Amino acid sequence: MKHYLYLHAQSARSALLKILRQPFGNLLNLLMLAIALALPVSLYLGVSSLQQWTAKLNTTPQITLFMELSSEQADLAAVESSLKHHPRVASFRFVHKDAALKELEQRSGLNAISEGLGSNPLPHAFIVTPQALEPAMLDLLQKELSGLPMVELAQFDATWARKLHAMITLAGQLAWLLAVVFALAMVLINHNTIRMQILARQEEIAVSKLIGATDSFIRRPFLYHAAWQGGLSALLCWGLSSWLAYQANPALAEFASLYGIDAQLRSLQPLEVLGVLLGAMLLSMLGARLAADHHLRKNQPA
Amino acid sequence: MIRFDQVTKRYPGGHEALRNLSFTVESGEMVFLAGHSGAGKSTLLKLVSGIERATSGNVLVNNQNLSKLRASQLPYVRQHIGVVFQDHKILFDRTVFDNVMLPLDIIGFDRRDAQRRVRAALDKVGLAGKEKVMPIRLSGGEQQRLCIARAVVHRPSILLADEPSANLDRAYALDIMELFKSFHQVGVTVLISAHDETLMEDYGRRIIRLREGQFAA
Ligand SMILES: Nc1ncnc2c1ncn2[C@@H]1O[C@H](COP(=O)(O)OP(=O)(O)OP(=O)(O)O)[C@@H](O)[C@H]1O
Ligand SMILES: [Mg+2]
Repeated sequence: MKHYLYLHAQSARSALLKILRQPFGNLLNLLMLAIALALPVSLYLGVSSLQQWTAKLNTTPQITLFMELSSEQADLAAVESSLKHHPRVASFRFVHKDAALKELEQRSGLNAISEGLGSNPLPHAFIVTPQALEPAMLDLLQKELSGLPMVELAQFDATWARKLHAMITLAGQLAWLLAVVFALAMVLINHNTIRMQILARQEEIAVSKLIGATDSFIRRPFLYHAAWQGGLSALLCWGLSSWLAYQANPALAEFASLYGIDAQLRSLQPLEVLGVLLGAMLLSMLGARLAADHHLRKNQPA
Repeated sequence: MIRFDQVTKRYPGGHEALRNLSFTVESGEMVFLAGHSGAGKSTLLKLVSGIERATSGNVLVNNQNLSKLRASQLPYVRQHIGVVFQDHKILFDRTVFDNVMLPLDIIGFDRRDAQRRVRAALDKVGLAGKEKVMPIRLSGGEQQRLCIARAVVHRPSILLADEPSANLDRAYALDIMELFKSFHQVGVTVLISAHDETLMEDYGRRIIRLREGQFAA
């Protein structure tokens, strides 16, 4: 067992030395992989940063309940008591139709609306703040509230918040999609580099097999090469995404301060770095394994 | 121990290189394999090392039936055999030392121990001073010795040599034969092929003569 580990440590070491011996060609390869990784990682970081800020924003939409014009004091009391006892309603506020009219007159500068009309055309209204809910649940709540007796209309006043939420969700999905695409690219790039290496060492492989090399012995240096390649490119990607955040943050902070928000693009957390590292290593090794297996199968003696 | 039991080898395309051959080479024996070009000498040796597999019949090596062994097990059989290939199979992209190191890497020897063994093997074949030389700069005879060093460095119990003295002058060829004799003397089973029988007759060993894949009279 100890000997087995010793052999693997040796393979790992010589694979790393091989990479370091050709720093230029390998650096290009590593950069290509790092960029392929950095794209989904940066998008992921952007999305999760955005989610953090929007959580701080008061994005909970409000629902305005307009009462029918003919509603009376008893109806208002009934609605009020249902709102009071509704579990999904965080708070609400009643706006009397006279107060609404006054506000309208003030805002529009037309003092004589009521005089000209003779009577107040505005309805009573309740402004309801729901508990933070998923968009689907908000829709349900809106429907439910519009069904209350003598309620004419229940209207969202913050559709923008829902749009924002939908956009963030979309960007999040895009990040995952990109991650899948670039995971595939990771496998393919490694498959290709390892295939080239195998072709360059074809003779050595053939002779090794003739004198007793097992398939796993043949594969081992290539798997280690790929693992280093994946691991190093993950570290490069970490550096790259941190650098991007560092570059973007001052401008972002200035922009966000206009809205009174404290916005920062975050960098990868230690656990996330570990995840990217392991993911990149495994995908790279998968590419190498496929390339090696393909070669071994093709060159199997009858 | 090597035993062939009614072994036939037919290559893809239908040519029968070996026909219904049966023989035994005991452990520690030294045997020559003679025959003209195309008689099937290389084929026979390839069956022993599991590089080719018998079409029918059984090939037993060290009590293992290679005909029944899974392909994934063959490497472990080869690790107990040393082969001097007819076409050398030297790797020209690395030094003499690293060529001889290859079998030990494959078996997984400890580095330090392996280096000691490589030096001993090179010393044994008379290439002690040429460790760091690239094989392309060796003479034909020296390349042959390099092959022998690589074939014995892991101390196999069976040594197969496919025409190791071809293209060498008689004196050099005798040197090489002496080398094989010395391995035989320490207990290695040795099987050597050649088409020049005069060299073998001097040694008074058993000779298996092949003609078109069968024993010659
Ligand atoms: N891979 C192969 N495919 C098809 N036929 C083969 C193959 N290898 C050998 N043969 C044929 O099998 C026969 C025996 O070949 P083999 O190489 O065993 O002869 P040999 O006795 O070693 O000859 P030489 O002294 O020239 O090396 C020959 O007719 C050869 O053409
Ligand atoms: Mg031959």
